[in-house]
Amino acid sequence: MQQDIMSQGVDLMLFGMGTVFVFLTVLVIATTIMSSFVQRFLPEAPAPEPTAAPAAAAPTGVTDPKLLAIIKAAVDQHRAKHK
Amino acid sequence: MESLIGLWNDSGLAQFTGPGQISMILIGLGLLYLAINKNFEPLLLVPIGFGGILANIPGAGLAYSAVENALLSGGPEVLSAMAKALNLAAYETYADIKAALPNASAEQLFAANQVAANAGYDSGMLYKFYSVAIGSTIAPLVIFMGVGAMTDFGPLLANPKTMFLGAAAQFGIFATVLGAVGLSAMGIMDFTIADAAAIGIIGGADGPTAIYVSSLLAPELLGAIAVAAYSYMALVPMIQPPIMKALTTEEERKITMTQLRPVSKREKIAFPVIVLIAVALFLPSAAPLLGMFCFGNLMKECGVVDRLSDTAQNALINVTTIFLGLSVGSKLAADKFLDPKTLGILALGIVAFGIGTAMGVVMAKIMNKFSEQKINPLIGSAGVSAVPMAARVSNKVGLEANPQNFLLMHAMGPNVAGVIGSAVAAGVMISMVQSMGG
Repeated sequence: MQQDIMSQGVDLMLFGMGTVFVFLTVLVIATTIMSSFVQRFLPEAPAPEPTAAPAAAAPTGVTDPKLLAIIKAAVDQHRAKHK
Repeated sequence: MESLIGLWNDSGLAQFTGPGQISMILIGLGLLYLAINKNFEPLLLVPIGFGGILANIPGAGLAYSAVENALLSGGPEVLSAMAKALNLAAYETYADIKAALPNASAEQLFAANQVAANAGYDSGMLYKFYSVAIGSTIAPLVIFMGVGAMTDFGPLLANPKTMFLGAAAQFGIFATVLGAVGLSAMGIMDFTIADAAAIGIIGGADGPTAIYVSSLLAPELLGAIAVAAYSYMALVPMIQPPIMKALTTEEERKITMTQLRPVSKREKIAFPVIVLIAVALFLPSAAPLLGMFCFGNLMKECGVVDRLSDTAQNALINVTTIFLGLSVGSKLAADKFLDPKTLGILALGIVAFGIGTAMGVVMAKIMNKFSEQKINPLIGSAGVSAVPMAARVSNKVGLEANPQNFLLMHAMGPNVAGVIGSAVAAGVMISMVQSMGG
């Protein structure tokens, strides 16, 4: 019995550690293949999005014609005062 | 006068059955102190400590099943009826009947439950929590789903090789299994192979995995294993640095690693699916743990079920943690916890952590021998899961050697690989031990 439990322990260690390594090796291979596949065939186009967004954002800052008119009037008034 | 005596007999003071319950209540208070004052994994240790105190309230029987409660407080006629139900001689004492319970057949247990129900006894509150949350294995799996929903596999995907570090660190688990069976072979402790496997999983440094494995393989040791796992996880910043420093040279600690490449969203979505397929093909025994983990991660990364992902990461994991903690506390009843085995478990647990840390570091050094792209061996220690504490420790020790060296993101790779590794180890051990019939 005592030898028995020892050999069960050794079995558990060998098979257990072996499985952990084999499984994670499979995962490393599968992940590497998946990553290169995704990068080659399904590239996201992340670059255009951020550049497009600020470019579009800048002019949209003040487009309300009413607001523009008010700002213009305020600037004119200011300039008239300080002439 | 008689009612006064009755009241006194019902009070906790009159029902203390010896020093066991008092010392367990003190241990519960000690856990609360560590959690509240020292900030040791408070999310778990507050419910566990409080549950431990509840479980040891004398006379309340909160942690006992209906049968145990009937045996504890039932009169002689209940005892003899129970003995009859279990096919024992009618004059058996409480201790004999209790010893016969684990060996009773399903029909006998059913009959015993009938006797207890007829006599008006019911299972205690914590016993019910335990059977719903842990006995059914639901709570650790739901927590694992939440952990999956909080995990970012980006650093691992950017450098998949670091998965080997997470694998190497699992050696702590199996070395401890060997240590536990060694102790029983030498006659110092009396652990079965199932006990040894459940103790070893402490080295996985992953609370839900440890609870899941011990609930299946060694439920009677669950209290000690859970307390050891969570206490040592809180102690990771103290346990790991001396081992890491002893195994590396100053130059190795200074190795700077190249910036990780950005990982696209599609890779992150594909990864949990790949893991799931690999589990389905090679390791169905790890499917409950890794299945829930991948499901949680897919909910996070796919970006179309933010509400579900948010619930899994916050509300659901919090609710489950409360019941998980109280249920673990129910296993801190005096007659189950005050046992020399508990000391053995605590000692083996810290050995498991130490060996896991050391093997992660050694594996990183071995990989450096064969690879052009150097790895800082300090990130190897993060392979023992304990997310994200172990990765922070790697970063901190790295900064001590070289203040410009930020290892945190590099260490997250082996760290999350360690979670997968411990779940794989858990699956292998459960299927192997169950087939050994231990």
